[in-house]
Amino acid sequence: MKLTFNWLMELVEFPDAAGRGSFGPEELAERLTHAGLEVEAVQPLADDAGAEVVEVRGVQPHPDADRLSVCEIHDDGHPLRIVCGAPNVRAGMKTAFLRVGSVLPSGQAIERRPIRGVASEGMLCSEKELGLSDDHRGIMELPGDAPAGVSLQDYLGLNDWMVEVSVTPNRGDCLSVLGLAREIAALTGGRLRAPAIPAHLRDHPPTIPVAVEILDPDLCPRYSARLIHGLRPAPAPPWLRFRLEACGIRSINHIVDVTNYVMLETGQPLHAFDAQSIASRRIVVRTAGESSTLTTLDGSERALHPDDLLICDGDIPAALAGVMGGAGSEVTDETESVLLESAHFDPLTIRRTAKRMGMHTEASHRFERGVDPEGTRYAMDRAVALWEEMGEARVVEGFADVYPGARRPPDITLRYASVKRALGVDLAPERIRGIIESLGIELKRSSEQDLVACPPSFRFDLTREADIVEELARIHGYDNIPATLPAVRMGAGQGDALLRWMRKTRSLLVTAGLSEVVTLPFCSPDMNRTFPGLWAGEGKAVRVTNPLRQETDEMRLSLLPGLVENLHDHAERRNESSMIFELNKVFSLAGGGGFTERINVAGLIRGRRPRRGMKVESRDFTFADMKGIVEDLLEGAGCADSRWTAEDAPSVLHPGRFASVAGGDGQLGHVGEISPRVREELDLPPCFLFELDFEAIVHYARPDFRVRPIPRFPSVERDLAIVVTADFPGQTVIDWVKRLDQALIERVNIFDEYTGAPISEGKKSLAYKVFYRSPERTLTDHEVNAVHEDLTRRLCAEFDATLR
Amino acid sequence: MIDNLEKLHEEVTGRLERCASEEEIEQIRIDYLGRKGGKLTALMRGLRELPADQRPRAGQELNRRRGEIEGLLETRLDDLRRNRGRPMDQGPRLDVTLPGNRVERGRVHPLTRVTDEIIDVFTGMGFEIARGPDVEDDYHNFEALNIPRDHPARDMQDTFFVSDDHVLRTHTSPVQIRIMEQRRPPLQIIAPGAVYRHDDDATHSPVFHQVEGFMVDHDISFGDLKGVLTLFLEQIFQDEVRVRFRPSFFPFTEPSAEVDIGCILCRGARDAGNCRVCRGSGWLEILGSGMIDPNVFGFVGYDAEAFSGFAFGMGVERIAMLKYGMDDIRLFFQNDIRFLRQFPP
Repeated sequence: MKLTFNWLMELVEFPDAAGRGSFGPEELAERLTHAGLEVEAVQPLADDAGAEVVEVRGVQPHPDADRLSVCEIHDDGHPLRIVCGAPNVRAGMKTAFLRVGSVLPSGQAIERRPIRGVASEGMLCSEKELGLSDDHRGIMELPGDAPAGVSLQDYLGLNDWMVEVSVTPNRGDCLSVLGLAREIAALTGGRLRAPAIPAHLRDHPPTIPVAVEILDPDLCPRYSARLIHGLRPAPAPPWLRFRLEACGIRSINHIVDVTNYVMLETGQPLHAFDAQSIASRRIVVRTAGESSTLTTLDGSERALHPDDLLICDGDIPAALAGVMGGAGSEVTDETESVLLESAHFDPLTIRRTAKRMGMHTEASHRFERGVDPEGTRYAMDRAVALWEEMGEARVVEGFADVYPGARRPPDITLRYASVKRALGVDLAPERIRGIIESLGIELKRSSEQDLVACPPSFRFDLTREADIVEELARIHGYDNIPATLPAVRMGAGQGDALLRWMRKTRSLLVTAGLSEVVTLPFCSPDMNRTFPGLWAGEGKAVRVTNPLRQETDEMRLSLLPGLVENLHDHAERRNESSMIFELNKVFSLAGGGGFTERINVAGLIRGRRPRRGMKVESRDFTFADMKGIVEDLLEGAGCADSRWTAEDAPSVLHPGRFASVAGGDGQLGHVGEISPRVREELDLPPCFLFELDFEAIVHYARPDFRVRPIPRFPSVERDLAIVVTADFPGQTVIDWVKRLDQALIERVNIFDEYTGAPISEGKKSLAYKVFYRSPERTLTDHEVNAVHEDLTRRLCAEFDATLR
Repeated sequence: MIDNLEKLHEEVTGRLERCASEEEIEQIRIDYLGRKGGKLTALMRGLRELPADQRPRAGQELNRRRGEIEGLLETRLDDLRRNRGRPMDQGPRLDVTLPGNRVERGRVHPLTRVTDEIIDVFTGMGFEIARGPDVEDDYHNFEALNIPRDHPARDMQDTFFVSDDHVLRTHTSPVQIRIMEQRRPPLQIIAPGAVYRHDDDATHSPVFHQVEGFMVDHDISFGDLKGVLTLFLEQIFQDEVRVRFRPSFFPFTEPSAEVDIGCILCRGARDAGNCRVCRGSGWLEILGSGMIDPNVFGFVGYDAEAFSGFAFGMGVERIAMLKYGMDDIRLFFQNDIRFLRQFPP
């Protein structure tokens, strides 16, 4: 909320007489911020250009120019001649004058110079020229009683600062200058100085010729009103106008302006109806029910919900309670008398209506957060007093005040021990009582151990002991509560397995050259169709009902869209290669309306394997590079027995250049080259991708292992090259050998694949290295040869292979 | 022969002075003492041709010289070994300013780096790690955190909805509820994770990351909250950091405190006026915190008379931006390799 520094200071009486002078806006900001009312900005209202109030004594037409006038003003008794081009200049008016030597906010200096042959000794200014508003219709019109010769800045009350306070939702009572003044008083030991209400307003009997009926007392616990005659719209006095505008509220006329001013001052929203338009002289407060529409002040016709609370003129809706007035009962230029409403409404009802209508007004903002139900009459009378000060307003004797929902604030018991326990600091009972009373909280009784407090009507947020403890901490000052360190009870199992694997995986991938990316999980339905995730078709995408961008209203099923999108940028930047990965969540709908979230890990490589150094070979990435990275990753996670197959082709990968990998008894994911179809569709360069179910990897991971003894006897190696059909999976041989369970065969590796002459078309040659070893003795060539020959023979027979 | 020996000795001394490697010394040994072609060895063989009466003296002399030369070789070898690395002894000099051969490594994302740092500080203090779902139900995200439906506090967080009663969590605080529903105090837990707000500009991303933390036991006080968070901030910002706690409002804590640190750019200097980081205030908001509200304990069935605790939450991006001097949050999610590469692997 915005207010001005002087306004706030006018409402506080400081303990020492000189207090006000020594309390600048910066310190105010500091004090409020430290009390939980964060000051977001402090700005001087206007730069003082040095303008003065003058009276225009005489106006003559310019001898040489139709649109110019030559005016005479008096400067401390000396007449000065000013050339002026404003259409509204006239003898007898009060306006703003800048003397020679001054500088306008625009930077233009005022010089003594002839204008069309007539020397001008200064300038009469518009508001726009002085930087006060955008009004440039003519020179400033100041009220007739403005004292000539005084500084305009002073006269308009512009030697002031706008202070913007961020008020948290629990402190509706601080959405007013008075509310903040109360806080300042509590913080400084000062006293609140609320503007006094003239006696004639205080002592009237509660009757006016308007009836008020509240049909829903729960929704409108109180409705006060006054009738004021002789109130015709006029411009508000400049001081009020500039104060309102400094607070971000546009000035309209003094009727509306005063209601807004009093709302800012007291926090109580007011509404001025044109009294003539309330033809039935009967105000009825009720929910909309059957009523269907209401045209509000802003000219929109609003569809009503049956629960919306209305202020009605008899049967006819006249205003949307607590949110906005109706167009039909608006104050207009013809208005002569006003019915002033000052009411209290149920926060939830106002909030729901405001949300439904998408209207957030100064009034609804305050009602939602809670307005003091005890403050309706004060605010109403304050407004009338201001109108009376401004002119011919005649208040009709008496007022209406229907208060069916009076509420008693709760008694709260505060135990001194609770203060110590919650804050860790011992506050003396006198200090506690002092703070409580400074906040206007009534101290009902107190004993050695506790006290009973009753908060004032405007502090809805204080209902429990903890609420009072908070107030104590706040006013005592957080800085004055010493920092301590709690004793921690030790326990095992503080480690986090998932975190450990995540760190390890990241470290392995980074070592392999991939950089981690973090992408937003929002995804277009098209991308989700193209990249349906690991176990495609298993889950449908989660849809965001109110997405930031309509095109990406789904949550990703796969991490790949984020990676390939990134590739788009990389390609544009013509990097030689891209190597990225992401370890993050993917989302899908589960059966029965639930949601599934899994952590996946996915990677992408493109271009050439980067090497740093002078004579280091760099070559294009291949499938084997991508597979190698995934093998490293799985090995690092302890997935020793991963199985690679060309089954379960995912649609995003090239049908002839992909692999599925499984571990334990489940699928882990896929690796391969991007499918040509997807590449074309998304206009991507060739690249290799992988995506794995990270939680499955962690599930199959075998973090523990035992050390095997180092072999005591040497191994003997024999190579073996066979020719097989081109689509023969080389791993088959290794698995087959394993199943043979030949005691002397330790392991088999593939070390080469070859196609081309002299191997015939449709065939390929695979070269294996077989390691023979006995745990008991050094093997002889003779022994090994016998086993190897047997193996070779059986292998060729088994796989229909020929020896090369 | 004696003359010859003198000459040999001089030759050896001269060559030893010039030699620069063990190989050269070995060559000298072979040249003079070698069993086959060694010059001294040849002289020893020549002993036989000397008259018998001269042999013993010459033999003695030869042996003495041999011993001397062996000693010289040994000394020089020692010298050389001791002085290995002295450039003049190394032969032609390499240009060591040329780049080494390296395998290009990737980078861990800066958000991961910072999250890990935060986690390490807290686990070092004895906190455990917990996680919760990103798609959260209204109850855990709001209701049980004392943010009822139709409460203005809901306006503090612009929410993404995925169904009538499920949202993308707006903060990591629901993890507090999920843990307390399952376990009893003492608890000291942190919960890192992504959170979602309907917001997108240079200082707001629709997705960002938080680390939530809370501690519940008998007699945990606001003073403890101050102590733990101050210690944390001193660890994470390493420098001597100024910390200030000021009252604020969160529906799930009371009292609540916003935690600020002294601006790390202008350090609150009086002339900092328009510091672009703190906008002249000298302070930066870094954490939200407070004592867990008794109502929250009510939702999870804890006795607020028996237990108390504090909770806090911090934005990982915010901390990273301050640590690395960044002013645009979007850099984290654009994943420009020129950005990522600035962080050492």
